[in-house]
Amino acid sequence: MAISNLHLKIVLIIILCSSTISILNAQGHGPLYGLQTPTLARGGVDLNVASMSLSTENETSYMLRYLFSYGITEDLQINLTTPTMIERLDNAPRTRGNSNMPANGDIEASLWYRFFSNAFGVGKRFEGTAVLGVSAPTDDVRAQVNVGNSIHGAISTGYASRTWYAWLGGGYQYYFEKDNEQLGDLPYASAVVGYRPNIFMGDYPKPDWRIFLETMAEFPGDNKYNGQQNFSDTRSKKVLMGPSFLGLYGAWGISFGALFPVVQDLTPSAVKENYRVSINLSYWL
Amino acid sequence: MKKIALVMIIALLGTLSSEAQIQKVDQEVYGMDCAPCAYGLERGLNKMDGLQNVRVSLNDGKAYLQLLKNNGLSLKNIQEEVKKNGFSAKKAQITISGTVKKENGLWVIETGQELFDISQHSPTELVQALTPGMAIVSGTVEDEEDGNLSGRWAIILTKVK
Repeated sequence: MAISNLHLKIVLIIILCSSTISILNAQGHGPLYGLQTPTLARGGVDLNVASMSLSTENETSYMLRYLFSYGITEDLQINLTTPTMIERLDNAPRTRGNSNMPANGDIEASLWYRFFSNAFGVGKRFEGTAVLGVSAPTDDVRAQVNVGNSIHGAISTGYASRTWYAWLGGGYQYYFEKDNEQLGDLPYASAVVGYRPNIFMGDYPKPDWRIFLETMAEFPGDNKYNGQQNFSDTRSKKVLMGPSFLGLYGAWGISFGALFPVVQDLTPSAVKENYRVSINLSYWL
Repeated sequence: MKKIALVMIIALLGTLSSEAQIQKVDQEVYGMDCAPCAYGLERGLNKMDGLQNVRVSLNDGKAYLQLLKNNGLSLKNIQEEVKKNGFSAKKAQITISGTVKKENGLWVIETGQELFDISQHSPTELVQALTPGMAIVSGTVEDEEDGNLSGRWAIILTKVK
């Protein structure tokens, strides 16, 4: 089993390295971690493959995640994301992963509805998007707690131009009880600022790069354990911050980045985080 | 004999070039900020029958379209494709060949697909140059509400052939 995990880690590292090498042929869209607003064109299809890693004080997780998105209309998008867990955490913190992806072994289906959009200039728009998702776990137990299905809702608003970007959003994930145990819920918020330097202002179809500073604030509730005192009304408070980069070329995109905790006010049962890193490849069909 | 053939070819070409249709569109697009946006719009426009060449510029915020002779496209088709990609179609610089006529005392140009009202903001000398019959004109088409495109436009003339 240990050998198998080692092989999987090697495969992951190779994928991570080849992703970085193939920058000119790959891409993503919007921020890496924070909530975003863009939706696909009517009939548009987007495929994403992400590799994510989360390190706590005791262990590190590795995961590949696939995301299929389809534009039902230009304002309504359906998504399905599935994981390949390479290394799970025994004591996993409650968090979201990349933008519109869970950080853990959940399979998630979601709808994005862009409820307003105001394109008011060349390359400029202001828009708002609501997200509603349902998920089912691929693991029976997570952080020593029976894992149930969950629902996730979020709302975000954002400004995009050819130079500056900004998104602000908030969301909530609720796990249903399973066999008298329940994972804690997760209210969270995200703020992202992006900038495209002049040197990356080349016109389409030249490659297009932008830099983001991403911030996540998470307030995970404690888990409810069977036969133990219920602390589920207590919450941790975490703020994470870090850079991410997005490169776009034709139908391809790559984004990569990291988040580091700047505030960790944790309940006794919560686990301390060291960092999160992720790479996401996108292809628009 | 050669002269007759030449005259017939010229006459045929003349007939084709006078087909009522859109020949060229420089469509202003708002809200398009990224390479995949431009890629998606370019691909969507390229799927439309009747286009000779499409180029999308992020920096200009425009889609430049050259249309084939005898195309069946309309400006409404083009602006609907822009909207389908999640952007907003604004003003357009177009060249059309169509039938010039008067309607309720005002000049209009009919392309078969659509009707273009000659705007009162057009230069007087260009309006005075209009005569009933086929003509090729260029001009700026005013922005219409994306969700309410009727196929009837107002055009400010910049050139009359």
